[in-house]
Amino acid sequence: MSVLLGKVCSLILEEHFGEIVSKVGTDLFQWGPKPLALVASSTKLSIDKVKQSLCVLLQYGLATFAPGKSGRVAEYTIQTEKIFSLLRYPRYLYLIKSKFGVEAETLVEEFLRVGFDSASRLIVKAATRLQESQKGSDNASAYLSTLRDKFVSLVNKQFLMRCPSPTPVDEEKGEKPTGIPNLTVSKTQLHLPPTLNMKALTQLLEGEVADAGDEGVYWRVNFDRFHQDFRDQIMVAAIARRIDDNASEIFQLLLQLMYIRTDPWVRVSNPIPYSELRDTLRKKDPQSPILPHLDQYLKIIEEDSSGFITRVGDSGGGQFCINMHKSFEALTWTCIENIIVERFGSKAARIFRLVKDRRFIEQEKIQQIAMIPAREAKQLTYRLMHENFLQLQELRKTMATNAGPNKTFFLFHIDLEEVARMILDLSYKALYNAMNRRDFETNENRRLIEKKNRIHSIALSLQAQGAPAEQLQEIEEMMAPPEVDLFNKVMRRVQKLSEAELHLEETIFLMQLFLSYNMQ
Amino acid sequence: MAMATRVKQEPVSPTSSSSRELCSPPPALNSSITTSDYEQRILLLLQGSTKPISDKEIQNEIPNLSPQERAEAINSLLKQGSLEIFKQGDKLVYKYKEPSSSSNIKGADNEEKIVYSIIEKAGNKGIWIRDLRYESNLIVVTLQKILKNLENKKIIKAVKSVSASKKKVYMLYSLEPDSSVTGGAWYNDQDFESEFVDVLNQQCFRFLHQKKEAVKNCKDGPIAAQNMASASSKDVWKYISELGISKVQLSVQDMETILNTLVYDGKAERTVLADGNHMYRAIESLLPPPGIVRTPCGVCPVFNQCSDIGSINPKKCVYMTEWLE
Repeated sequence: MSVLLGKVCSLILEEHFGEIVSKVGTDLFQWGPKPLALVASSTKLSIDKVKQSLCVLLQYGLATFAPGKSGRVAEYTIQTEKIFSLLRYPRYLYLIKSKFGVEAETLVEEFLRVGFDSASRLIVKAATRLQESQKGSDNASAYLSTLRDKFVSLVNKQFLMRCPSPTPVDEEKGEKPTGIPNLTVSKTQLHLPPTLNMKALTQLLEGEVADAGDEGVYWRVNFDRFHQDFRDQIMVAAIARRIDDNASEIFQLLLQLMYIRTDPWVRVSNPIPYSELRDTLRKKDPQSPILPHLDQYLKIIEEDSSGFITRVGDSGGGQFCINMHKSFEALTWTCIENIIVERFGSKAARIFRLVKDRRFIEQEKIQQIAMIPAREAKQLTYRLMHENFLQLQELRKTMATNAGPNKTFFLFHIDLEEVARMILDLSYKALYNAMNRRDFETNENRRLIEKKNRIHSIALSLQAQGAPAEQLQEIEEMMAPPEVDLFNKVMRRVQKLSEAELHLEETIFLMQLFLSYNMQ
Repeated sequence: MAMATRVKQEPVSPTSSSSRELCSPPPALNSSITTSDYEQRILLLLQGSTKPISDKEIQNEIPNLSPQERAEAINSLLKQGSLEIFKQGDKLVYKYKEPSSSSNIKGADNEEKIVYSIIEKAGNKGIWIRDLRYESNLIVVTLQKILKNLENKKIIKAVKSVSASKKKVYMLYSLEPDSSVTGGAWYNDQDFESEFVDVLNQQCFRFLHQKKEAVKNCKDGPIAAQNMASASSKDVWKYISELGISKVQLSVQDMETILNTLVYDGKAERTVLADGNHMYRAIESLLPPPGIVRTPCGVCPVFNQCSDIGSINPKKCVYMTEWLE
């Protein structure tokens, strides 16, 4: 929880929900759990506005509430990690599109837009959207069955989950109504697909009132499931880079088998037998070129320095565990090393890896082993230390207070978690800067952008009225060539900054993942 | 021996307190046959025992030797450099020592001989003049004179150490200085040849990389491919020697040092074989450069000074403007 994190969060909130919601969010971030009245008094907003803002935050799952100490008043807490998922929306959609196709993408997009909704309403909305986007087909009901199937498969694959619903207070057990709803959902229902009445769906689509059979059941996006996929992607891509595509395919299969028997977010998976892996591979493709070398590939992945898997037993042709925690430690090291290469050069990265390898090392040794001239080695080492990538440990030969530097060893070492936190903070700041700059660029040229939009809408409406080409041309020419140039330039800049934000988000994701594994 | 501390090498007098004035003049080698006989016997006695031997033990072994004669014999042996004296507790003990070649400096006086023997003992690591002064107990001026003298006679030489540029160490003329003194192949007159190291580093990587590329389409399974892509330090050494980029002769050890820098560059991986030798193999980093360094902020030199207010801010940032162009 750093100052920068708070800044980034309020900026993200402002961008998506406006100033007031951002103000409430920032207030919650600064103060921690807080009841409605106190939020209103410290933000100096009217109770109504605060209520509305909290509603928005709750709707998108960006805040949660729980009874306070007294048990009578609800206290609201902001969920910072959820705020970062706002940045990942394009990635979520892309993932769904590549896995389940356009219809599923539309469903998820609708979910992301509204936060949560009932299955029937959402499917109807998505059907209308699809009809609009594809002008050729005029019958939205044609999409309904596909959409329903996609919905069910999204639920089955746990990309969607059921929202908890309020449980009635059981007064017989001596519970008193507190006015704070108690939201629960049973585990069996969490990913139980809904049964939907197709006829009612069609009626709903035509604007009639009908009961699709899911009254009061709401669904929302399960972000953790998406993050799990992102995590797997990172690991599979790393294996492909380090070894080859065959190895990454095997690893992908291993991950699939892991989910059958292991909770996805544990540090080390339960053992996966070799025979099962081989059978799965054979079932998938009996002619697979990997099959004859499967054991060799496993050996190579196991022996690689990154330590993604370990062999734990010999039964069933060998048992393999996936080391989630260790893998992400290795990936974080690599990420930090890459950052050092780019920032300070490859010699500095050599020193960093050397310190990592030796754990504690003296300056003298560094220059000797790294084969860097003494002067340069010293400069680089001290620079790394100055930028908090290296830490210094003093080790005194005597306990005398006046012991000079001659009587002390100075050992360099690395505290990975600390460095990871620093990189995370760095990324927050870079993200904040990029977003700020983007706002600035658009604000500076607001008039130009508005003009462009106006002209565009005029042209569109004229086109719809069937205006001749000359007239359209004339409208287009209302913007002078230098203006068009400037507009394109600004758009390019904004585009580049948005891309940078996405890249930064990847770094943030990796670091957050590592830290969460480290805290487990 | 653990208890024994060295004492300064000076002649022993029969009385326990030893000082230079009391020291009996060293008897000439041919002065008496009996003395040299005794010397032989003492020597044999000392050679036969691994532990140092005290005065008393000599007395017990050779009872018919008078204290006076014993002292003479020991002094004489000491002079020849065939025994050493240590102090154990408050007793003096003697130990056999390989006769040094000090006798081959002809016409040298006692002091020169002592200095020579200390330098000789330092071996190819050499000895610093200050340590030499402490060990020999000579004053600076005398010592310098002796060193100059020996240097002129080409008996010893002075070598500059790489660890401290102003520090000179002395060693026998015939010796090749140790690599810790010269820095090995990587130093040319105390200057670290970083370019040379860089070139070697690149060449080694090229070699490993070529090997890796060559086995890309290997059909014999991944382990065979990996083994083919690996190279021992000896292979690399051969390759580099054949390239002829080095004007000095490099050892396999040197090659390993270079290969280790590749490992620390994250470009190679080292595996240990059963026989203790290392194999090296080119590897790819696990991740592409992370997102943060693809933005100007990730590599910004004034990132820490940057904030919303003040002259360094994201809105006016020149690095960002440059990047956006």
